[in-house]
Amino acid sequence: MSRKRLLGGALLAAVIAFALLGPLHGADPLRQNLSDTLLPPGGAYPLGTDHLGRDLLARLAAGARLSFGFALLAALAAAVPGILLGLVAALRGGVLERLLLGLADAVQALPGLLLVVLFTAFAPGEFLPLYLGLALSLWVEFFRIARNGAAAVMARPQVQAARLLGFGAGHILRRHLWPEVAPLAATLFAFAAGTAVTTIAALAFIGVGARPPVPEWGSMMTELLPYYAEAPLALLLPAILIFTTVLGLHLLAGRERA
Amino acid sequence: MSLIVEHLRILGPDGVLVHPASFALRPGEPLVLLGETGSGKSLLAQAIMGVLPPGLRAEGRIVLDGQDILKLAARERRALWGRDVAMLPQEPWAALDPSMRAAAQVEEVDRLVHRQTPSVAASRTAARLSRLGLGGAARRFPFQLSGGMSQRVALAATQAAGARMLIADEPTKGLDAALRDTAGALLRAEAEAGRMLLVITHDVTLARLLGGQAIVMLAGQVVESGALPTLLDAPRHDYTQKLVAAEPERWAAWPRRQPGRTVAAGQGLRKQLGGRELFDGLDLEVAESDVVAIAGPSGCGKTTLGDVLLGMTLPDSGIVRRAEWAGPLGLQKLYQDPLAAFAPHQTLGAGIAELCRRHGLAPSATHALLPRLRLDAGLLHRRPTEVSGGELQRFSLLRTLLLRPALLFADEATSRLDPLTQAEVMQLLLETVQEYGTALLVVTHDAALANKVAGQVVTLPPRNPRIRLDKTASVFRV
Repeated sequence: MSRKRLLGGALLAAVIAFALLGPLHGADPLRQNLSDTLLPPGGAYPLGTDHLGRDLLARLAAGARLSFGFALLAALAAAVPGILLGLVAALRGGVLERLLLGLADAVQALPGLLLVVLFTAFAPGEFLPLYLGLALSLWVEFFRIARNGAAAVMARPQVQAARLLGFGAGHILRRHLWPEVAPLAATLFAFAAGTAVTTIAALAFIGVGARPPVPEWGSMMTELLPYYAEAPLALLLPAILIFTTVLGLHLLAGRERA
Repeated sequence: MSLIVEHLRILGPDGVLVHPASFALRPGEPLVLLGETGSGKSLLAQAIMGVLPPGLRAEGRIVLDGQDILKLAARERRALWGRDVAMLPQEPWAALDPSMRAAAQVEEVDRLVHRQTPSVAASRTAARLSRLGLGGAARRFPFQLSGGMSQRVALAATQAAGARMLIADEPTKGLDAALRDTAGALLRAEAEAGRMLLVITHDVTLARLLGGQAIVMLAGQVVESGALPTLLDAPRHDYTQKLVAAEPERWAAWPRRQPGRTVAAGQGLRKQLGGRELFDGLDLEVAESDVVAIAGPSGCGKTTLGDVLLGMTLPDSGIVRRAEWAGPLGLQKLYQDPLAAFAPHQTLGAGIAELCRRHGLAPSATHALLPRLRLDAGLLHRRPTEVSGGELQRFSLLRTLLLRPALLFADEATSRLDPLTQAEVMQLLLETVQEYGTALLVVTHDAALANKVAGQVVTLPPRNPRIRLDKTASVFRV
């Protein structure tokens, strides 16, 4: 394990610990207290309050849980079909492979964010279209690395040898293709999760994703933007969390150079 | 000008890897280090270059023109590279920059090492390449060059650097017999031009071609040294005798047996590849207890012909008949690079156990075969990369034998192995034929080997390189 990966893991662990330990503080992320607005950190509010007097620690921790859950599910929703289709394309080849490659090219021609915005237009503020849109734009990468990695293995004698020895497609997938693709897929998974974190925050920030009062990092930044002069820290904290999470994921994903 | 190596020994973390060796290198007289993989011959060359792998260190004296270069700092050692000592790497096609044309890679040396202007470098390079018969290949990329041509480009680069001493590490690895002779002649010409030449090889034939002095190494120790060819004609040490006897030319011819039922037969086979005809109207039949060899130079379609017979490639025309009694698993293949034929992430034992489960074979069958293939059961816990090439090839034989094949297709199965290991694996194949009556189809570029083992040798004509290269060139232009 390289130092970079250790650092990435430590950053992520810190954010996860924050997400899990935040609720112990006991405050409700949605409860308003209009007499305690925009307080600096201290006293009953360890990280201060926002413009409606809501506890920032509770809101940021709730946002962390939301972002993590969303990122993992969205990356998973893209990785599973993407990898499966990639492996099948390499294994079967022919028309099926060409069709899938064409489809992947077509999807990649659209900017990823546009696809997500398109989906959210059907049901604004809902999470399901966000998942669908992200999965639809992210699966292409998984498909490509799985298909390319597997196609390289298919050309090696080991696959021909396995077939001659009487093994079927299942064995070739499990023993020959998957071990080759898995490390790349794991790397890409971390990158995809990072993309998901920034996407959900960006969409909420421009007002098409999660909506107030949902304690989402991007949405919190939108809400706090008018008050940056009075409470700069309140605006900075969600930004720091997004940055730390994505940096941690990318460092963790970084492959060791040989 | 001379290189004198005195009591050079190489130490690793677990002790001595190469015991003290002394030798001298003079211009005009090649020095050949003979020995099998792991004998320490490459380590000696790396010690001279100053590129020992991390964790290893050299002791003793390496005196180049009166200066002990072993005492120099790493940076001073590097300053000798190219100008004083040069190394022709193993498999030079992998050492060339894939994104640069052949001439540019050689020109670079004149421009950067000798600070020549681009025009001077270009004209010098053109002269160099044409002297080596590469005039037409100057504008080609490495992937458009054959193995022999890549080697000559690498040689041109070392000539451009002007090193007085050239180290060639396994210069014939992966080359067929005709190219091996050319490579030998080229290296010899380097020595005759007054350069010091050190060649590391396990190829006895190459040693004979080069002449000069030879040192035979075994397990990190020099066991014999002397002038060529006397050393090989009258070897004194047991190991040298074995090494010489392992040359296919010296093998006893395999006994012929009465062929049994036909396992696979092709009639009127024709196959084209890349717009060029590999073979046409070819008939081939392999029967039980029969050994058939397909010989010919690299790239002539030998493997394709074998694959056609096994049913893994379809011929363009002609018919292939495979005996029904042989069953779907009756035709098996051994590969040139055994490492590429195994799933790399699985231990050998796990792979074999999976095979047994798949076909309902008793695990005891594996253990019965291990001693017969002279394999240790402990190796079953290792991954394919953790055993030697010879051991792995014997494991490929083992897993095919578990299926009792009617026909075994050995596709250059021993061409990447040391001569002794090659002889051993071929001996095991002979035993297989004799014991099970397996039909054996051998593909090899080694005509001597083909003639010794096979009752019938099919020789395919060489592939015309001009056709192939013009084709790649035009593809590239588009």
